[in-house]
Amino acid sequence: MLELVNISKRFKQKYAVKSMNMLIERGEIVGLLGPNGAGKSTAISIMSSLVEPTEGDVYFKGQSILKKPESLRKVAGIVPQEIALYTDLTAEENLQFFGRIYHLKGAKLKERMDDVLETIGLTDRRKEVVKKFSGGMKRRLNIGVALLHEPELLIMDEPTVGIDAQSRNYILETVRRLNEEKNVTILYTSHYMEEVEYLCDRIYIMDQGNLIAAGTKEEIKRILSGEKTIVIKADRITESFINEFKTHPLINGMNVEEKQVSIMVAKEVNMFADIIKLADKASLELNSVNVKTPTLEDVFLHLTGRALRD
Amino acid sequence: MRGILIARWKQLLRNPWTFLCFTGLSIGFALILGLTGAGNTIRVPIAIVDEEVHEAPIISQLKQETTLQFYEMKEQDLLQFIEDGKAEVGVLLSKDSYKLVVGVESTTVTIAENIVRQTYVNYFQQQSIIDRAHMSAEEEKSLLQELEENLNEPIFTIQASNFRTDEAVIYNPTYQFLFGFSLFFVIYTIGHSTTAMLTEKKQGIWDRIILSPVSKWKMYVGNLIYSFFEGYLQVVIIFSFFFVVFDIDYNGMLWKALLLLIPYVFAMVALTILLISVIKNIQQFNVLITIVAVSMAMIGGAYWPIEIVESKILLTLAKFNPVAYAMEALKGVVNYGYSWDQLYYPISILLLMGVVMISIGIHLMERRHI
Ligand SMILES: Nc1ncnc2c1ncn2[C@@H]1O[C@H](COP(=O)(O)OP(=O)(O)OP(=O)(O)O)[C@@H](O)[C@H]1O
Ligand SMILES: [Mg+2]
Repeated sequence: MLELVNISKRFKQKYAVKSMNMLIERGEIVGLLGPNGAGKSTAISIMSSLVEPTEGDVYFKGQSILKKPESLRKVAGIVPQEIALYTDLTAEENLQFFGRIYHLKGAKLKERMDDVLETIGLTDRRKEVVKKFSGGMKRRLNIGVALLHEPELLIMDEPTVGIDAQSRNYILETVRRLNEEKNVTILYTSHYMEEVEYLCDRIYIMDQGNLIAAGTKEEIKRILSGEKTIVIKADRITESFINEFKTHPLINGMNVEEKQVSIMVAKEVNMFADIIKLADKASLELNSVNVKTPTLEDVFLHLTGRALRD
Repeated sequence: MRGILIARWKQLLRNPWTFLCFTGLSIGFALILGLTGAGNTIRVPIAIVDEEVHEAPIISQLKQETTLQFYEMKEQDLLQFIEDGKAEVGVLLSKDSYKLVVGVESTTVTIAENIVRQTYVNYFQQQSIIDRAHMSAEEEKSLLQELEENLNEPIFTIQASNFRTDEAVIYNPTYQFLFGFSLFFVIYTIGHSTTAMLTEKKQGIWDRIILSPVSKWKMYVGNLIYSFFEGYLQVVIIFSFFFVVFDIDYNGMLWKALLLLIPYVFAMVALTILLISVIKNIQQFNVLITIVAVSMAMIGGAYWPIEIVESKILLTLAKFNPVAYAMEALKGVVNYGYSWDQLYYPISILLLMGVVMISIGIHLMERRHI
């Protein structure tokens, strides 16, 4: 349905996106994953025809959209990363305004507004000014606006950043329902691994402008089939403890959180003795040591040497 | 496009404070400086020392004077006034002569003296001419001599400078400040209104519209029409307020004055678009518009009449200043009763400036992706 071929985008000397290829098939939910500054929003602007790529081409249903973006624009709904709404207007007035620019009017407009409000769960808040909405409600309306013209393809740029768990779940469910009930094709961008893991059939992972992995969840996890993750929990984590691991020859990757260190090692390696010895040396009290199969998060760690979220 | 106008209008109704604030400021300043006369015309007390002065129209003429404001009081009070420093100068009037009581040597003294002297001279001249009708040839001869002498008196004249003519200046502080502050503050209202466009672009609202079937130029036109409307609404409110509440009658020219504001408000919308097209963020815009508005108001004669400006440089700068043309046109209509023929020039200049600035502004905005 939508295809990016060898897309690059350069700002001055810096590449925001480098030689990116991507394919979205009808009916799929495709995930685009990457940390801050990976180039996700830039890629989205290009594939939604807002920004011209420095190199490469974008095809929608086999036609280049660089010269003729109309066919794409008519059936695509874009949910921007920033809240693009009139905050002094009510939810209803916003929908009215954006509905009108899609030439919806009268009974049809009303019907679409009711439907969208229902979908995003804001029916009883429709008369409230957006300024007074919670972050989650704004996000939902931001999505709702993109649904007014019943898009076939929905491109969502981090629709869940900075909101509470409840709103987040609501949005995830909405995305899933749109895909299942209305057969909307969706590109879902996020830097939350678990969202993408939950929603998407296929996943693209970006870092610093490059696509570093692509495939189904299983394919991507298979990258790490020869590895395992060991999660070490302690009361506190000290600098010296971390340094010991950093220089350890058998460890392929590491992610440090407040009271927890995850390390990645080959499947056959037995690390327990070493871990206990090093903890002793750093006089740390260990709470637990767990072994688990790698997650997408670990894949990212493995591919870039960094955690997805910092 | 109607959608844009409706959306913007609703936003104004929800959040009218900036608009009301600038409307209020215009009215407030015009009231304080224009109507009460404080801060502009200097008051000069006069006292009658010889009742015969009433036979001459001296007093009524002095009271009509607008450059200085002459007002009557008792001789005793006047002397006390000067002594107390409450007035710089006072004038004691008799039928054939006058006396200045000077408290402080200042330009006011010179101006007052010149006005009073000229009033007397005019009166004497008229008197001589009237008397001449009943005179013998001999008397006539000496009278002519006298008249000539009178005429040769060095008369202080105010240099009248106007865009095209050299007529005498009419200075009416009410209109000066009413027009001046309306033209000045409306720049801010318009700026506030057009920058909403910048915010909308930054927020991504315009991206949504670019992706919709509505074309971008409709978005521009809709927003510009709205900003024009908001600015125009403000000046109409101010002008009508003074018309209704204070019986300021604009010498019967209210409609014409309101029509003249159309090209001005348009030019200001264009100017703010041009400013937006060269700045990086709203903060920069706020600084820039303050600099531009204040200097345009000063050079354009919104704070004080441009007629008193003598600097060649400033007068040349005024030729590029929309405020100067608008002040000239408004005062022309109300004070001098300009006909459309005389207004044609400032109107076309304003429209021309507007078209040029708006074209450059939108072009730059598009090129710089703002
Ligand atoms: N208009 C621009 N001019 C210059 N540099 C830009 C521009 N837009 C993006 N960039 C740069 O391109 C890189 C990618 O930015 P982009 O917004 O696409 O990342 P992202 O993956 O969406 O990040 P985030 O998760 O923070 O939204 C960043 O380094 C950014 O600084
Ligand atoms: Mg982004």
